[in-house]
Amino acid sequence: MSAQTITVEITSIAQVTPLIKHFRLKATTGGYLPAFSGGSHIIVVMRGQKRIHRNPYSLLSSPNRLEHYEIAVRRMDESRGGSHFLHDVVKIGDQLEIAHPVNLFGLEKQARKHILIAGGIGITPFLAQLEDLRCGEVPYELHYSVRSHEHAAFLQHLGTREATRVSMYYDNEGATLNFEELLAKQPLGTHVYVCGPAGMITRVIDTARSYGWPNSHVHWEQFNAPPVGDAFDVFLARSKISVHVVPDQSLLECIEAAGVEVPYLCRGGVCGFCHTRVLELDGELLHHDHYLSANERTTGKSIMPCVSRAKAKRLVLDL
Amino acid sequence: MLITGIKSKPIYTPLSFDASGRYHILLGAGVGANPLLRVLAEMKKTVPQSMIHARVLFKNASAIEATAGNVSESELAFRAVETVELRVFNNVASLLADFHILATGSLMGTRLYVAGPESFIGLAMQIALQFNLNQDEIRAEECGSLARRVFCIHCRAITDEVVTNIVKCACQRWLLVRDHYSRRLAAYMGVMADAEAPGELPEMREVFR
Amino acid sequence: MNAIFKVNETFRNDFTFCNSPAAIRRFPLPFAEDEYMYSVNIEPHLPGPQGSVSEFAFDVDEHYVAECHEREIVLANEPLRFQALPHMMSAQWDCLELIMESLARDYPKHFSLSKRNNHWQWSNGPLNMEQRFTFGDAATLPRPPLDYITRQAQGDFVVMDQREGNLWCEAGMVTTQADWSLDFDMGMTFKEWHGPVPLAHEMGVFDRAIKFLLNLRLGQPVRRLNWTMTVNPRLDTSPENYPHWGPDRASVNAANAGDLVHLRVELQGLWRLPRSNAVVFGIRCYLISLRELATIPKWARRVHRVLKKLHPALVDYKGLTRYREPAIAWLAPFDDGSPTTPGTSPE
Repeated sequence: MSAQTITVEITSIAQVTPLIKHFRLKATTGGYLPAFSGGSHIIVVMRGQKRIHRNPYSLLSSPNRLEHYEIAVRRMDESRGGSHFLHDVVKIGDQLEIAHPVNLFGLEKQARKHILIAGGIGITPFLAQLEDLRCGEVPYELHYSVRSHEHAAFLQHLGTREATRVSMYYDNEGATLNFEELLAKQPLGTHVYVCGPAGMITRVIDTARSYGWPNSHVHWEQFNAPPVGDAFDVFLARSKISVHVVPDQSLLECIEAAGVEVPYLCRGGVCGFCHTRVLELDGELLHHDHYLSANERTTGKSIMPCVSRAKAKRLVLDL
Repeated sequence: MLITGIKSKPIYTPLSFDASGRYHILLGAGVGANPLLRVLAEMKKTVPQSMIHARVLFKNASAIEATAGNVSESELAFRAVETVELRVFNNVASLLADFHILATGSLMGTRLYVAGPESFIGLAMQIALQFNLNQDEIRAEECGSLARRVFCIHCRAITDEVVTNIVKCACQRWLLVRDHYSRRLAAYMGVMADAEAPGELPEMREVFR
Repeated sequence: MNAIFKVNETFRNDFTFCNSPAAIRRFPLPFAEDEYMYSVNIEPHLPGPQGSVSEFAFDVDEHYVAECHEREIVLANEPLRFQALPHMMSAQWDCLELIMESLARDYPKHFSLSKRNNHWQWSNGPLNMEQRFTFGDAATLPRPPLDYITRQAQGDFVVMDQREGNLWCEAGMVTTQADWSLDFDMGMTFKEWHGPVPLAHEMGVFDRAIKFLLNLRLGQPVRRLNWTMTVNPRLDTSPENYPHWGPDRASVNAANAGDLVHLRVELQGLWRLPRSNAVVFGIRCYLISLRELATIPKWARRVHRVLKKLHPALVDYKGLTRYREPAIAWLAPFDDGSPTTPGTSPE
């Protein structure tokens, strides 16, 4: 079940911080793009010269304005090419393909209060969610942490409309978010959502747990870019082919390039959709996903090919 | 039509202390006090007394179906537990009203423990739902009477304390009590027993004691 | 849709409902083989052959106007057959959009929708209705959005919220159901709601179905067929009204089964909804009498065999106990024992 795609045209590109570019996309056929809910992401398909990139980006534009979609892309230090492509290659007027939006980070509709915690580029899904929250009656607050003023993307966007609901934390001013204080005394029925660097997500999850929050009230999203690694080989048992996985492409990308379809939703190690059975393994799996449990990792029977790799003499997958 | 073995019938498990919680609310009815005492004993070592609140129903004629000796023993034991905030009620409505107030002032990190007849658990769950307590925040143990609250699917009346397989509703229909359970209504479904052949009723048996 | 709407047919009292020969030939027979058991028979809801019930997202057939009238009768007596919990408002709008857009796109002769930003204008020719409203503003419609649009659609609709890795039945319009109650089942999880279905839980059908549905994608709806039988062409076989229709089951004999006993097929469609991330479950009911069915020789043979071999638990669950034998007896003369071709096509 891979996605049908929609062809879009880039109508504007803005550098909003030294590291973040903001893109506006419209359907090449004109008219409205599909409706979506706050927290959704799209997969952007980028046809580079050598290879195809498929990266997930949260939609930050208003779910109520479907003339265009907006995404923001942070330049990654160790980019395998996706963010590099969007930062340095594409121009206004270029066409891209995107998949229908998918929401793996939706707001809980029965929550009695929402607490949104963003770190850096992690602000993007919340920008769309704020559009929904603003129309509702459930109390909410946003805590937004950035390195410094120049790194605070979309601040104006927030500042004018959300002044009373937003707390800013600038690292360079020593203003750090006190997770303990934030999570210790929230009313029953509160949900916390966090999107940002891995360290921040871990802090929120751990702090919430230490104050007795159950898992069902703690929500997070972090799309892992597939990490660069050593090359390795894999045999696909059902397709009866060998695939060579190069250092700067993911296992999933290499399998797709060999003509084998693997179902996916997020391509970031979150949704579990590309879950693949490992039939034989002589070596070790390098898990980079957020999906498999610690136990599933150690048994070595499963892998999420969108982000995970292997260091193995022999690896056979059920594909 | 499936009468028994319906998967919407809740499954209850013996209560135990959930150490991942920070605050603890314990609700019990009648012999439900016994499991609560067990949980209290487990949590007393590690949980500060100010973080535990107990609300117990005694002297409810319908709830005290089990041995009276057991209940009064629990009652004594409960009254003896001076380390937690305990309130005893003699009717369900006032206990639930107090639980509502308690929940309004409660914080994330609270765990709810409910013990008693299913009808009592169901009514407590209705309030818990209003506060968006999810399944990982609630534990419930069924004990005492198995009498059911029955919702008449034809007239919407609720009949309490049903112990038989068929029961006459306020609308004068004989209802067959199914295992189909609604948390929202805190009741089992009752459906007309002799609709297809008037007067052809199954033998009445006491099945929910 | 070339059919002429049979505006005066009824699904109660005098039961004037019947199928035209064309409607019989397009009937969605759910039996691809001479035996029936559950399966997770979910397939993409892609456009089917021209004229088939799956040609479009929502099938509008010759019974459209009469079924909408029947729904009004049910709701006039029992308003709780439509319900929606407060947090389902965005899902209600999603459903309204899905149905209006589909009908206007697929049946432009009968329905039209024009939009200027949030200002929408809807026109329903067969029911002679016009409505201007502001999308997202419930005060601009005469009824809640889901209530409004499903009074203009055939089949039942249940809307499920997705949370805690589960789907929760929390809004719906249910007036043409096979013996289940929206009022009772509101707030249940998908599995609790299907609690009364025998065998399937043990077979893991619902575990697989829920896993599949949690990942249902926008723009990629799915469908499946389900079936039961009903005495008389009665759409409203709700538990609420069981005292009215229950006695019908005892009225069947081998002589009248051909006219009284109807195969009842549900075309179930599932769509991910965009703004709410909810899932809408459409349950469209098709009825055909055994006499109508028997005009297709292959179908008569097949249904005869399916009924004969049906698992006892399913006989009980589908409420066939009192009239399965007469139905089999009525069909027997049409079954000469000759083989049936695979698949469901008439020949």
